Amino acid sequence: MYPTRVLSVFLLAALTLSAEPAAKMSASLQPGKAALKSAGPLAFGPEGILFVGDFMGASIFALDTADTKAAKPASLDLAGIDQKIAALIGTTADQILINDMAVNSISRRAYFSVSRGRGPDGTPVIVRTAGAGNLEILSLDNIRHSSVGLPNSPAMDAKDRRGTSLRLEAITDIGYAEGNVIVAGLSNEEFSSNLRSIPFPFKEASAGASVEIFHSQHGRFETNSPVRTFTTYDIQKQPHLLAAYTCTPLVKVPLSDLQPGKKIKGVTIAELGNRNRPLDMIVYKKGGAEFILMNNSSRGVMKLPAAKLESYEAITAQTEKKGIPYETIESLKGVEQLDRFDDANALMLIRSEGGSVDLKTVALP
Amino acid sequence: MPMLGAAQNSVTITLDGDPPVFRVQGSSILPRLTSPNLINIFKVSVDKDDVPQMTGDYSMQGATLVFSPAYRLEPGVSYRAVFHLAGEHGSGVFTPPKPKPVPTTVVERVYPTASELPENQLKFYIHFSAPMSRGDASQRIHLREESGAEVKLPFLELDEELWDRDYRRLTVLFDPGRVKRGLLPNEEVGPALIQGKRYSLVIDAAWPDAVGVPLKQGFQKNFRATAADRTALDPKTWRITPPIAGTAAPLIVDLNEPVDAALLLRFIDVVDRKGKLIKGVVTIEREETRWVFSPAEAWTAGEFRLEILTTLEDLAGNKIGHLFDVDNFQKVDPALKTEIYSLPFKVK
Repeated sequence: MYPTRVLSVFLLAALTLSAEPAAKMSASLQPGKAALKSAGPLAFGPEGILFVGDFMGASIFALDTADTKAAKPASLDLAGIDQKIAALIGTTADQILINDMAVNSISRRAYFSVSRGRGPDGTPVIVRTAGAGNLEILSLDNIRHSSVGLPNSPAMDAKDRRGTSLRLEAITDIGYAEGNVIVAGLSNEEFSSNLRSIPFPFKEASAGASVEIFHSQHGRFETNSPVRTFTTYDIQKQPHLLAAYTCTPLVKVPLSDLQPGKKIKGVTIAELGNRNRPLDMIVYKKGGAEFILMNNSSRGVMKLPAAKLESYEAITAQTEKKGIPYETIESLKGVEQLDRFDDANALMLIRSEGGSVDLKTVALP
Repeated sequence: MPMLGAAQNSVTITLDGDPPVFRVQGSSILPRLTSPNLINIFKVSVDKDDVPQMTGDYSMQGATLVFSPAYRLEPGVSYRAVFHLAGEHGSGVFTPPKPKPVPTTVVERVYPTASELPENQLKFYIHFSAPMSRGDASQRIHLREESGAEVKLPFLELDEELWDRDYRRLTVLFDPGRVKRGLLPNEEVGPALIQGKRYSLVIDAAWPDAVGVPLKQGFQKNFRATAADRTALDPKTWRITPPIAGTAAPLIVDLNEPVDAALLLRFIDVVDRKGKLIKGVVTIEREETRWVFSPAEAWTAGEFRLEILTTLEDLAGNKIGHLFDVDNFQKVDPALKTEIYSLPFKVK
């Protein structure tokens, strides 16, 4: 499943102080049909604005959910949510894919990006929770929205003049931080890191910038591997991107480094073991300490201490393999989607051994 | 023929039209109500317990109540329609017919086509004859040793799945953590492929295509792993066979080693002395070691050059002047740009 991300509470606080006047953000959205070709990764921005990665359309949509009424439900649980979502759109669970889940931190409602049909002509649907045990469709027919095409990678700009390309980029994660939508992508052809930072509100003239992040391994090998999932987190009061790569290391990069046309060297702060692909990451606080919670491709949920990440310098020698210590939460299995629900709980999509998918509120470990 | 629901009392429920809609006829009460709450009177859902009603629009056409589903009905799925208003009842279960599945989709080819691949092979491209379905790839593709034993988790499992727009080509990446030197997975479990061993890439026949029908047959590609390729691509070693002026003969470039099939189609251009693009068609031959360019028009005598993106990759992801895993990370270029490597040739 697509990874989900949530800004840390600390960064959100910073955003509130530095953000533009509230009206300005949603004022950039125009009513009409939001013509998504697919609905992939989700992330909430300010004012209940939902960002949707449209991988088939190679674009990012900003949708005004108008879901801005604050609510503090104690929990959000829905057994067999895959069957319920499927029934709502008149089909069965085996005919849909739940691509991502994101929680609106204002209303504490969960949003799901869904493909109705598994083929290339699958219909994109956004479904959200609606009161106790109910679901509803967020209509895309007439919704205030805007969109931006993903800027081409340098390789795309420079070449591809024969018009026969099968190239398409999967969007592995999106997030919103400090007025920018950050998009991690992975091409189905060239193997490289492709991280884009797109200013929001979207401007036609500026589709943002592509940056490459290199990370070094044990002081020897440099790669520009694609980013799998990321979150943002303050390290010594500087917002940082914490990015997990397709090849497992956890890397930190200052957000201020994400500048157009820049090659960036990220610092590897943890290696999370083999056969372990991080899906989602959230940051939370418990008992005065800060932690990162990460679910992995059906290989458990990991908890890492987030405090003093600055003290974990680059892993530079073979003897310092692991970097940040982590523990695996044994009680959590089959977690396919993870997002922060509130200060004390996470919301998870958990696939049971019987195969059905349940939405569960789980106390943060 | 409309499908007829089992009617009770005087109410009849049918499913007909294109796209199909549910109709309720015969209610004597409904037409007399000024603003009936139709969503509570007529409930249509997938025929399962404890699921929400289907999304759709209600309308009255004369004395007939019509429910138009927001999404097309799925062949083979059963739908339950229940009408209940005062003393009037009606219900029916409708199953739009599903055509008998006839498997026709096959794996057309897999790149690279060579039967020897370096142990740090980075990806496969699997081409299908028709659009496929997403969500099953990691279960349907296997890497087996000669003994038949399955290699565990050799590939990068991505739920996104790297399809093209038509879902006819899937890119399968070997787990880069096991390919790259210096990473924990590489050191702990080693590379997926080991030099000298024989392997089969196996694709299950049960993999459903975009219409949910399994493949006509499975697919198997046998290959032997050779030594890891840890040398950058070097166009200086390529051999160009220039065409003769006045002919539309193809330009032939022998590449010295197999190169990524998809990137070969996009990453090399032919330009004239002034940099003007020469139009033509590219084909890839001899197990991706030969690049053939057939021009749209006859060649004129003069100087030309190949413009090659330096991000072209060999089978192991090594680029021009840049290894897949570089050994000198201090030397990261400060500026991000895609460089072009020029390889001149003359047409006489």
